[in-house]
Amino acid sequence: MTSTPDPQAAFRRVAEAIHRVFQGLHNLQERAELLQPPPLEGQEWYELLRQKLVPQLGGGGWLVAAVVGGTNIGKSVVFNHLAGCKASSSSPLASGTRHPVCLVPQGFSEGHDLQTIFPDFQLHEWSDASLALNTSDNHDLYWRAAPELPSTLLVLDTPDIDSDARVNWVRADAVRRSADILIAVLTQQKYNDAAVKEFFRKAAAEDKAVLIVFNQCLLPEDEAYWPVWVKTFCEETGVRPEAVYVAPNDRAAADQLALPFYERPWPVPENWGATEVSNVTRDLKADLSQLKFKEIRLRTLRGSLKEVLDPRSGLPAYLKSLQIASKDLAATSEKLSSEAVLKIRDWPTPHNSTFVEEIRDWWKSRQQGWAKKVNSFYDTLGAGVTWPFRKARDVIQGEPVPALDKYRELEWTAILTTIEELFDKLQWMADTGNRMVKPRIEEILQASTRTRLMETVRQKHAAINFEDEVKDVVASEMATFSEDSPELFRIYKQLHNVSAAVRPMTSVVLFSLGMGPAGETFAPVIADAAANAVVHVVTDVAGGTAAAVAGDTALSGAAASTSGMLQTWFHRLHSVFTQRRVDWLTGLIREELMGDLPEKIKQAADLPASEQFVAVSSSVTDLQSFVNQLQLPDVGEVAPQELS
Amino acid sequence: MTNQQLEHIALLAEVDDLTARLQKWVDDDVNWDTAQRSRALVGRLLARVETLRFRLETPLVVATFGGTGTGKSTMVNALVGAEVSQTGRQRPTTTTPILLIHPDLEAESLGLDLSQFHVKVVDAPVLRDIVVIDCPDPDTSEGATDGSNLAILRSIVPHCDVLLYASTQQKYKNARVIDELADVASGCRLVFVQTHADLDSDIRDDWKNFLSPSYEVPEMFFVDSLKAWQEQLAHQKPSGDFGRLLDLLASELGTARRVEIRRANLIDLLQEALTVCHTNYQRDIPNIEGLMQALAEQRNQIRDTLTKQLCDELLVNRTLWERRLVSSVTDMWGFSPFSAVLRLYNGLGGLVASFTFFRARTSAQMALIGAMQGARWMKSRAKEQEAESTLERLSNFGISDQQLQESRLVISGHLHSSGIDYESSDDRRDLTDLRKRAASLEDEFLGDASRVIDEVIEKLAVASSHWVTRVRYDIAMMSYVVFLLLRIGYNFFWTSFLAPAFGQRPEAAPLLSVDFYIPALLFLVIWSLLLVSLFTWRLRRGLTQQVQQFATQMADSRLIHGLFPSLEATCRRITKDAERVSGLLDLTTSFRRSIADTSGGFLGGRRDTETSSA
Repeated sequence: MTSTPDPQAAFRRVAEAIHRVFQGLHNLQERAELLQPPPLEGQEWYELLRQKLVPQLGGGGWLVAAVVGGTNIGKSVVFNHLAGCKASSSSPLASGTRHPVCLVPQGFSEGHDLQTIFPDFQLHEWSDASLALNTSDNHDLYWRAAPELPSTLLVLDTPDIDSDARVNWVRADAVRRSADILIAVLTQQKYNDAAVKEFFRKAAAEDKAVLIVFNQCLLPEDEAYWPVWVKTFCEETGVRPEAVYVAPNDRAAADQLALPFYERPWPVPENWGATEVSNVTRDLKADLSQLKFKEIRLRTLRGSLKEVLDPRSGLPAYLKSLQIASKDLAATSEKLSSEAVLKIRDWPTPHNSTFVEEIRDWWKSRQQGWAKKVNSFYDTLGAGVTWPFRKARDVIQGEPVPALDKYRELEWTAILTTIEELFDKLQWMADTGNRMVKPRIEEILQASTRTRLMETVRQKHAAINFEDEVKDVVASEMATFSEDSPELFRIYKQLHNVSAAVRPMTSVVLFSLGMGPAGETFAPVIADAAANAVVHVVTDVAGGTAAAVAGDTALSGAAASTSGMLQTWFHRLHSVFTQRRVDWLTGLIREELMGDLPEKIKQAADLPASEQFVAVSSSVTDLQSFVNQLQLPDVGEVAPQELS
Repeated sequence: MTNQQLEHIALLAEVDDLTARLQKWVDDDVNWDTAQRSRALVGRLLARVETLRFRLETPLVVATFGGTGTGKSTMVNALVGAEVSQTGRQRPTTTTPILLIHPDLEAESLGLDLSQFHVKVVDAPVLRDIVVIDCPDPDTSEGATDGSNLAILRSIVPHCDVLLYASTQQKYKNARVIDELADVASGCRLVFVQTHADLDSDIRDDWKNFLSPSYEVPEMFFVDSLKAWQEQLAHQKPSGDFGRLLDLLASELGTARRVEIRRANLIDLLQEALTVCHTNYQRDIPNIEGLMQALAEQRNQIRDTLTKQLCDELLVNRTLWERRLVSSVTDMWGFSPFSAVLRLYNGLGGLVASFTFFRARTSAQMALIGAMQGARWMKSRAKEQEAESTLERLSNFGISDQQLQESRLVISGHLHSSGIDYESSDDRRDLTDLRKRAASLEDEFLGDASRVIDEVIEKLAVASSHWVTRVRYDIAMMSYVVFLLLRIGYNFFWTSFLAPAFGQRPEAAPLLSVDFYIPALLFLVIWSLLLVSLFTWRLRRGLTQQVQQFATQMADSRLIHGLFPSLEATCRRITKDAERVSGLLDLTTSFRRSIADTSGGFLGGRRDTETSSA
């Protein structure tokens, strides 16, 4: 025993840390959604936190005792003996008791909120013993005041832990977590049942105080057996009972609340003989009242804390699993982002004449005075002279399809190809991606999604005014170009000499999380755009850098021929236009198809660095050290130094 | 004895029939995940049919089943009247299963792995026709790890024919035991026994209610094994329920019942497997239906596009319409002056039009030329430029590459969720296959279209060659000719010859000269042309309306094949296969029901899930 810190203060600190953890967990769970962590509800450590630690840490000093055990072995009979009346109905048929019944000391409910003590149950005041038998789906709890109980002791009857009514198990587990003392009712048929063992193993891990009542014994024949039974039970579960009682198989006595409980020594003394058994009936309630409440309370709280903080099955394990899952996801998305690049090779460009016409219009709009007049005169003249020829051509060949309508057609083909490739890529991602990404992508891959996307894209595509698109591109490009180029007029003069431009090549990055080769390549783009952007477009002039270099030289000096410069300039025009179109498509895809998936993936991959994760894990670290301090004053426990 | 053998053979034949059907189903390969998984499952079970044949001569295997402490071993001891299985108050008592066999029977012939049992040879009357196994419990082990009671139990139960399910007041609702029972019950007959009659109350009614939703529960026994054991030791016949249980085991599970019981077990298993298959099919078939619907939609889309395109073109190609109409009208008309004119007109027009036919590029023109001529045309064309022509026509006609691409995109989405293993060509971007399909689709469509057009023309021709019309046109035609003849005759006979001869005219008028005949002929041509064009205008008048009718008529027609014929075939096979599974399940279920009453009133079993839900 070293110097003992104030246990009250220590408990307060622990309670605060617990509350912090409890709050933080929900945020964390929400944030980790994509990692598909198992739901918090139903995990033992979380339920302990919620049902035991949060309501009881820092609360007043009361104790919860619960009668637990398998179905049809007399739990309710034992409970009724504790209550001194038929508070809970017993029946010869199995899994009768469906809802817990709680005996509350007189006046307890005024000073305490029962609802916070039993957060999972709907509380009802007890009126009839048969209430506990009703098979409603609600988790009900019936309570009644019991004046004869010690003022700090709540006693519960619980549903069974092994029948096929599995909802009973849930209720029994909830009661077990809240409880400090368990009155384990066992029989020779059930003491070694798997369900029973599992239940009490958890109770032992939480360091509950356990009183064993061996019911339905054939006395005196079973006097020789019960030590073996209890021994097996204790070895299998790790329970260290405070006391052991045996009760005979006497239905009449049980019905009249006159079942005798004989206390038996435990552990059994070495030279103890079955002959020297005492046949003094004990009053369970009185024995219960004489337990060291404060010690037990401390013990169970600490036991529960220990379970919550267990590195293998508790909160740290949960955090670790999140970390691993997140790392796994990060690795997968890195792989995805490095390979998920759609290369669009043959995105069409409108015919040069479209651009040429547009440039002429642009030019005209900027001309003034004399030049304008000359120009429009020649235009009109040209139109007049060529009219009969055009008319003749229309008759012979049919009216030509407007260039932009043709482009619209071509672009739709390109869009379809891109979407098809996109789905192939997504399919590949779903097949190679890990279990967290797969279901999300599968969702996207559903047939209905495809049809919907196609319809949306079709409608939006049909609504686009390509003339405006071309106008915008030409206007912006001409504006930047005219600022610093004296060659403008020469370009204008040569406009007709433009040959068909090489089609620009475009890459679409589907997933980019700033990782992997693709991520590096496009990092600047990402930095510019929103960090979570998923689809980025990089336009490149096909034919490699040579053309680009040639273009640079051509533009910077007069060394190259005008036509070469013009060619390069048209490349640029085409590139810009293509980029604009692909941007449009990818934006649409992102909006319609991907939704917030990339964002979610990124978030999940960065989880360990997130605020929520850090908050919880630091609280857990705090908690760990507080708990270690809490263990110091303990006499029976191993000192923390020795634990490590 | 021969009679009994005959019965055996008859029973086996029934099973054979069922298994043959199942085997046939299993051997039928369907290119669908669910179908293949289901087949694998049933195929595995069918292998057990062979085991059934081999095990005909071996006695039934009766095993105890129930939670620890429910008195299984005590019951076994009381059954044979000797302490063969250790009983006790410690849980679990029995860990190694004990196999009890009569000295007259050979343990080796049972087909069991004897090394995992304590084999005890006991000369008890109850063992004359059966083998009894005392099994370990399913409820003390927390997992089925190697060597655990649960693992041992699970390795034995598949070899058992009848389970003696023992339970007590404390244990009859034990979840672990119930869960385990659900796993093992199919393929076994069940005998329900409540033990500990000396200590516990009778809960058989509640137990029965509890089990009834999932099991056939006949009589339940409420036995006091300890008392029976005492009675056996005292060489008395056990009294009460235990005595009856003993009698039933000894008498009802004899040689005569072996095949029936084993057969019932097998049918149980088959039915359960088929139920699983059926459920899987029901779960997955909506995906296939979705795919089929998508395929049908694609088909309709293509048909609509083709129809629309064809109608547009039909309206444009008026000359062709006219030619077809005129020729069929003249065919109907027979000989008359006006029809001769029409024929002449059509013959001349045909000369010109034949150039057009040989240039018939669009499908509408094809359809208009008519099925016969079109086919001839196609043949000659096809020789020249086989691959090219269809594709060329296609590019001129309705189904665009984009539409093909869209179809493929939509279908591949459905394909993905359907689980069909569909091999598309290696290069997914390649449209050649689809284009070829589209071209042949178009041919199919045009075949239909030509037929419809032929009918339309026939109808129009009939309407236009009514006798009133004919008479009217012929009279109009003839009136000019008659006038001309009168005029010429008057001049020829009267004014230039008879009148001067009779002195009616002072001198003969000159005969009509070329000056007369040229305009007369000219006016004849003009008059004919006027009538012909009036007639053809009439013919054409109903055209727009007819084309619209044609469109609605085509819209009702169905393309038999779509762009993905093999996929469509697979879908049809799958739906058929699903029906087949339901059929097999029904067959097995009714078979199972027909043999259900053979269990003699005390053998229970898993309940037919369908009857319980119905």
